[in-house]
Amino acid sequence: MIKETMTSKERVEAAIKLEPYDRVPVAPLMDVMFPSRHKGMTVAYGISHWKEGLQAIVDIFDEVGGWDAMILPGYSLALTPKVASGVMASMGTRGYKFPGQDAAVSENSQPQYEERERLTEEDYDEIIKYGWSGFAERNRERYTSFPPEQIIAWAKKQTEHYAREGETWAQKGVPSLCGAIVESPLMFLSTKRSLTSFTMDLHRIPDKVEAVMDALVDDFTMDTIEAARLTGIPGVMLVLERGGCFYYPLKIFERFEFPYMKKMVEAFAAEGLITVMHFDQDWTLNLPYLKELPEKMCIAELDSTTDIFKAKEILKGHMCIMGDVPASLSAIGTPEDMEAYCKKLIDVVGDGGGFILSSGCTIPANAKFENFKTMIDTAKNHLPAS
Amino acid sequence: MSELADAIAELNEDEAKRLVREKIDAGVEPLSIVDECREGMDIVGGRYKNKEYFLSELIVSGEIFKEAMAVVEPLLKGGKQAESLSKMVLGTVKGDIHNIGKDIVGTLLTAAGFEVYDLGIDIAPRIFVDKLVETGAPILGMSGLLTPSFESMKETVKAVEEAGLRDKVKIIVGGGIVTEQVGKYVGADAFTSDGPEGVEICKKFARETK
Repeated sequence: MIKETMTSKERVEAAIKLEPYDRVPVAPLMDVMFPSRHKGMTVAYGISHWKEGLQAIVDIFDEVGGWDAMILPGYSLALTPKVASGVMASMGTRGYKFPGQDAAVSENSQPQYEERERLTEEDYDEIIKYGWSGFAERNRERYTSFPPEQIIAWAKKQTEHYAREGETWAQKGVPSLCGAIVESPLMFLSTKRSLTSFTMDLHRIPDKVEAVMDALVDDFTMDTIEAARLTGIPGVMLVLERGGCFYYPLKIFERFEFPYMKKMVEAFAAEGLITVMHFDQDWTLNLPYLKELPEKMCIAELDSTTDIFKAKEILKGHMCIMGDVPASLSAIGTPEDMEAYCKKLIDVVGDGGGFILSSGCTIPANAKFENFKTMIDTAKNHLPAS
Repeated sequence: MSELADAIAELNEDEAKRLVREKIDAGVEPLSIVDECREGMDIVGGRYKNKEYFLSELIVSGEIFKEAMAVVEPLLKGGKQAESLSKMVLGTVKGDIHNIGKDIVGTLLTAAGFEVYDLGIDIAPRIFVDKLVETGAPILGMSGLLTPSFESMKETVKAVEEAGLRDKVKIIVGGGIVTEQVGKYVGADAFTSDGPEGVEICKKFARETK
């Protein structure tokens, strides 16, 4: 075991600020799925029983001797007490099929996103005219059966849960990185229109899509800042998947993703909020653009499909990198495979600071406990080779 | 390259639609129109391989191809049929409802000349096996986005073995997080996380199983 000279909070802050740390911090993207299964509960039970689910995460934390940060403090939602926030949450959650509630999704599976259209091309005009909040209020009944006062009460309760999750970890000396979560306008539209329809929109009506994004971005940004303020956690997760080079050429990224990402990240940074950019899928070709984002105010969280070693070369000295133990390695690899991969990450990406060892996206529900523990232990026992 | 193939390769949807209609009106053999569309899709695949095109161009060209086929296919009935490269059974495995990757690959395979039996999502091993038996397809493609889908893929390979079909059927698995390790774990003959690469592997399988 490496002799530790920093607290978890100091270590994680040093990684974000690209300053020296005593060892590489480790912070898995942990939700309730894997801990529930490990504790003998079904995933369905863990998701629907907040106290027990949160306790399962705390228990697995204690069992492995702890880690350095929670990326998200639990699995509640951080929302502003507004109808539009409730409608967005409802659009999001209704897009998923949950374990135990749908025949195709077993009680021990993770929630699965069903790709279908929830916004129509006609909705674009209304969003352009009224902005996101106006559109959401005018179309509330399409997305939720609850009246405005119930939506606002629910949003408040979710946010209180979120803040309590953060407090649970703070009491254990573990910082939470994200006090709210938001999608980029491209990610939002792609998932709500469906990938195929949205891609055809970009091909057929690009100017209108751009106008819709212009109408969304300020509401998204301000609502997220407010939600983070309410939870008291000085960071934001910006969910990005559909705008990277796995899906689109750089000319699309340059017009429809990066300007909005940049605007949001700069607004968050101006409020003192660190942005965890949750990059699903491959963004390797997009990495050079990230150097235009505020220095030492972002974390590039990678899922193993972006070349993390290339990311280190490009982003070294500019932003912290987090990741990227492949989900397949957690689920079907061996502890020896896991140790070798984590050591390589620590040696190369951890060299010179600016790295947080993490899972590539969420720890899968069927991860092997011994593999997970090996990831945590390797961070505590292995220093970068140089 | 024909004008129609070029329109598809350049993702010119309106021009492709116009040319298909023009050729039909001019009495061009429907099968020849299909061949031109496939030539266009082949060019798109080549540009993707050369990293000039991305997934979005596969999606857009796939939509243009499907629109063209919707017009041409009814005219093929009773006439000269396109020769299938091979039959193939495709589906997302049990417990997984993700369809994006499977649908894109299904369109690419169809455009490449495969006779694709797309079973949909959340497909149990027995359903895959029944379809292989019914169609005599020598290729099975399984898709999955989540780690629990690895077990479903493994169970399906086992079911194919138990049905006595394993030496007659080539199996490929695909998905965003499918790696070589996953391919080996489930007992597949090939793996991919790249649609056009998957099509090339299936073409190789088609040659091997002729």
